[in-house]
Amino acid sequence: MSSLLPFIPTMASTFAVKFEILFWYITIVTGIAGLAVYAGMLYFCVRYRRSATSGSTPRILGSTRLEIAWTVLPMFLFFSFFGWGAVVFNHAAHPPADAMEVFVIGKQWMWKAQYSTGHRVIIGGNPRNMNEVERQSIGRLVLPVNRPVKITLTSEDVIHDFGVPAFRSKIDVLPGRYTTVWYHPTRIGEYHIYCDQYCGTWHSLMVGKIAVVGEQEFDEFLYGIQPLQGTENPVDGSLAQEGRQLFLKLQCVTCHSANAVAKAPVLEGLYGTRVPLKGGGAEVADEAYILESILKPRAKIVSGWEPIMPSYEGQITADDQAALVAYIRSMKRGTTPDVTAQFPAPNGAPTERPKQPASPGGK
Amino acid sequence: MSASTHSPVLKHHFEDLGQQHASERLGMWMFLATEVLFFAGLFGAYTTYRLWYPAEFEAASSHLNVLYASINTALLVTSSLTMTFAIRAAKLGNRGELIRYLLATAALGTAFMVVKGFEYAEDFREHILPGAGSFGGEIKADAEARGLDTGKVRLFLCFYYIMTGIHGVHLVIGIGVVLWLVQQSYTGKIPPDNYSTVEVVSLYWHLVDAIWLFLMPLLYLAGASIKHSH
Amino acid sequence: MSIAVIHGGLAASPPPPEPEPATPNYLNNNYGIWSWLTTVDHKRIGILYLISISIFFIGGGIAAGVVRTNLLSSTGAIVTEDAYNRAFTAHGVLMLFFFLIPAVPAVLGNFLIPMMIGAKDLAFPKLNLASWYVFIAGAACSTWAILAGGIDTGWTLYPPYSTRASQANVVPGILGVFISGFSSIMTGLNIMVTVHKMRCPGMTWGRLPLFVWSLYGTSLIQLLGTPVIAVTLILMGTERISGVGIFDPSIGGDPLLFQHLFWFYSHPAVYIMILPGMGVVSEVLTCFSRKNIFGYHAVAWSSMGIAVVGFMLWAHHMFVAGISFYSALLFSFLSMLVAVPSAIKVFNWTATLYRGSITFQAPMLFALGFVVLFVIGGLTGLFLATLGTDIHLHDTYFVVAHFHFVMVGGMVMGYFAGLHFWWPKMTGRMYSDWWSRVAASIIIVGFFLTFIPQFILGYHGMPRRSPNYAPEFQIYNVMSTAGASILGLGYLLPACYLSLSLFFGDRATANPWSATGLEWVSASPPTVFNFEFTPVVVCGPYEYAIGVDQLGRGLPEPPGPGSADDPASRDGPTGPAGPMKKETEVVG
Repeated sequence: MSSLLPFIPTMASTFAVKFEILFWYITIVTGIAGLAVYAGMLYFCVRYRRSATSGSTPRILGSTRLEIAWTVLPMFLFFSFFGWGAVVFNHAAHPPADAMEVFVIGKQWMWKAQYSTGHRVIIGGNPRNMNEVERQSIGRLVLPVNRPVKITLTSEDVIHDFGVPAFRSKIDVLPGRYTTVWYHPTRIGEYHIYCDQYCGTWHSLMVGKIAVVGEQEFDEFLYGIQPLQGTENPVDGSLAQEGRQLFLKLQCVTCHSANAVAKAPVLEGLYGTRVPLKGGGAEVADEAYILESILKPRAKIVSGWEPIMPSYEGQITADDQAALVAYIRSMKRGTTPDVTAQFPAPNGAPTERPKQPASPGGK
Repeated sequence: MSASTHSPVLKHHFEDLGQQHASERLGMWMFLATEVLFFAGLFGAYTTYRLWYPAEFEAASSHLNVLYASINTALLVTSSLTMTFAIRAAKLGNRGELIRYLLATAALGTAFMVVKGFEYAEDFREHILPGAGSFGGEIKADAEARGLDTGKVRLFLCFYYIMTGIHGVHLVIGIGVVLWLVQQSYTGKIPPDNYSTVEVVSLYWHLVDAIWLFLMPLLYLAGASIKHSH
Repeated sequence: MSIAVIHGGLAASPPPPEPEPATPNYLNNNYGIWSWLTTVDHKRIGILYLISISIFFIGGGIAAGVVRTNLLSSTGAIVTEDAYNRAFTAHGVLMLFFFLIPAVPAVLGNFLIPMMIGAKDLAFPKLNLASWYVFIAGAACSTWAILAGGIDTGWTLYPPYSTRASQANVVPGILGVFISGFSSIMTGLNIMVTVHKMRCPGMTWGRLPLFVWSLYGTSLIQLLGTPVIAVTLILMGTERISGVGIFDPSIGGDPLLFQHLFWFYSHPAVYIMILPGMGVVSEVLTCFSRKNIFGYHAVAWSSMGIAVVGFMLWAHHMFVAGISFYSALLFSFLSMLVAVPSAIKVFNWTATLYRGSITFQAPMLFALGFVVLFVIGGLTGLFLATLGTDIHLHDTYFVVAHFHFVMVGGMVMGYFAGLHFWWPKMTGRMYSDWWSRVAASIIIVGFFLTFIPQFILGYHGMPRRSPNYAPEFQIYNVMSTAGASILGLGYLLPACYLSLSLFFGDRATANPWSATGLEWVSASPPTVFNFEFTPVVVCGPYEYAIGVDQLGRGLPEPPGPGSADDPASRDGPTGPAGPMKKETEVVG
């Protein structure tokens, strides 16, 4: 048996505070209104209850003035809820540009997080649904206090929802799409992650933990000095580094080399630019565009290039997709690997990586 | 309200025939509203995807058999004409003519379904099917050659089968009801003052026709600008 | 304005003599199960529905019992996760589709609408009977799916889980819902045509009882909303059966499209569930406070407003589902609009009590309970309609508490109020006054205890549909389950005393509550064709202050504390203190 919950749950982020103020405003206004109605009803029921000396009742049909009053006043109050709620929602819907980024993948029935400059961690889920390696690397989503973080999420199977009550936040996690959410944690501590969209048998065990830690602890965690997880994380290397290895392993570099007569566009500095498309129009090269180009390359052809890229759909896991996207994002001028480069192992990674012969996947 | 003064077709809970016919007509119009909402869900979903994936939807549509669809359109529109003549026959109390026109309507509707059967058979032969394994043939090769996403082509085919299938079900039900009217007329239950039963059924029939008139261009003519050699 | 001027000097006739107990009435004019199964009498069909939905209420209640008992422990007290998931799905499917949606429209609506408007039957009696059979077929199909292994998708059936991952009897389950949807459409169509075309002379739209207005709005929603869920279920079912479909992301489909289509019906569906209850409350509050409804036109128009605006709100169930920011703004704004007509009704009901002459028999207790609980349910809906707060509260127990307040605290109360109000008319028997008041009180108290803790749980973030939950939530779950057991007990009581009344209850008079509606004109129970003559309506409903029914005849003595010193009864209706000389008072 546990003790009663606190009156107001822990507020661990800037958004949580905004939520609470709005929540209590609505509570007070609706509370007053509801109690006023109850008071009126109670008074009338007592004062006008029938007794042996009650006379007949007056013929009262209504009052236009009252009708207008109790239409307009509630309407304005409700619109105030809408307006304030929209402002708060706007805050939640638009992450700041400098937010640290984390990828989270939901699948039945666990959560996996990948930092763009750090570890890959399982941050929650039902141990029964995990293999041995995964079970040993169950940890927490470690975040630094007082720094905004933007989380990009996708699902490998059905719809889930990443909910963090301490941040007063949740977002559905969809297959085939990315959704985003962001927090500005303000309080050091450990907080629940819940799956808030029913997803099957172990939906209620698809829970995890967020650990908000101090700046220094977080930096140590990122550089691997102080692994803040349960056990040694078997994969240690930046996501972009992982992506670079895949870029070579899958022979992307064969076409997307830095060579001027390459068969495919150079990807250096691509991220965030506007790409003119074959057949007119243009598209901003964001994560979704990059991912689509890998999985369905014929969907949007860059103007001036032929549709010859094979599709990698079904051949790379969601984790690898995120790594490739992170790598392509990070590609700066002059960093496209040499076609003949061997792929070196990152720090601390297992050293056995099979050398693939040059035959690209796809049809 | 003595029994001898009111028409045998007046139902006991109505005051008079005028109220009865007005109720029947209103009821059928309301039912048609439900059918419109029913198909509106399908059309809405189709429209959404068509706006998102125009290239794939147009390419997929270009592989459907416009000739069969055109024949079917002609059949169905003609059946609406015969149905209207049937109302006229009922109003005039001409039982033989009524039955003939009703049978013609049913026959044209059945002809539509027969043509549809041929069309589906051809679609199956040519692997114009949405399933992952069954999709193939020329439509698949053509989509790949154009660099299109075959998944979205299959999505179009999902709509094609579901929309034409559900329309077909409605048409078959309509044919059944028309044949029931034939039976009713044959047994003398449609005298001139009860012609509204025919009118009410014709409203349904016209709706099925009208839905086809929207369905056909959306599904078959979307890819009209793309020419193939079959 | 004095009444004499309005009615051109019409003098109220004295209260009519009690009609001869009708033999035969609709219950005994034909015996045998076959006469019931082939009846086209709207009253018998209403009774058939009553029996059927009671069975599904019990089934849904048992499922609720499994759910709440299991939640006593934070790791599941009595069943496995798979069984729990099937239990809450069964609870939702049975209660929503096979109890709440048909409850008032198909039971009370079928029985009363023709009588309230002075007609002999609904417009399409055979269609009415067909609607019951279709309902039974659909309900049987879903019930079989539930009993033979269960459905585990939640009543909301979201893909891809429902189309790909679920191993349960999804297709038979949704087939049953699909089939019974046609029953809903048929009932709605029937009621709308009846109200349009079969009102008796003098029954203008402005004189319709508010129960009829609210059922008209309900029928509009049933007619236009149900087809969309029908086509959605077909789309989902074909995707599940064939393995390919339009919600599949791997071929470019969008699971969110299902959600849009699903909620396009399912949101208006909740108004199908609540509007009839609101209609009942208008009837009961006026009768038991002996007053006109305050603001007849406002209440009537608000029913229509809720019906129409209710179609524009569906995506407020999807604020965190991945819809665009601007969509969210639009739907939140519109959701605020629909709260306004509901508020108007509550204020008008409260004002109806002002200077009334109020008694507290069971129908009144249930109706007052409706208002009290609906106020909380409606106000908590505002938290969910507000974007900033919905992010946190979505898919938590806050939502569960909110919708139980409106659907159970609102609608089920309304249904019970109606059942208790019209029971004497339907069955010709009176039930125990004391036990019915006790039951109403226990139900209201039990309800509070069950669902208030759930608001706290939701505010703290406890997710829905979770047999395993964080240990700190346990105490409120235990409180809620304890309340649920009281609530369950409360529901058992009417089952007992209402059934017993059929055999041992006092015979009811034609108009035991001294109400003004046309349905009280004929004997209790009514004859097969409802009226011995074509009624001619001369005034609006709820002329309790004057003391006339809608035919212009005087009302019998209302039950409750005596009115021996009432000057009106001393002087008669047209005497100096009598009702016919009463001025209409202007307030506010």
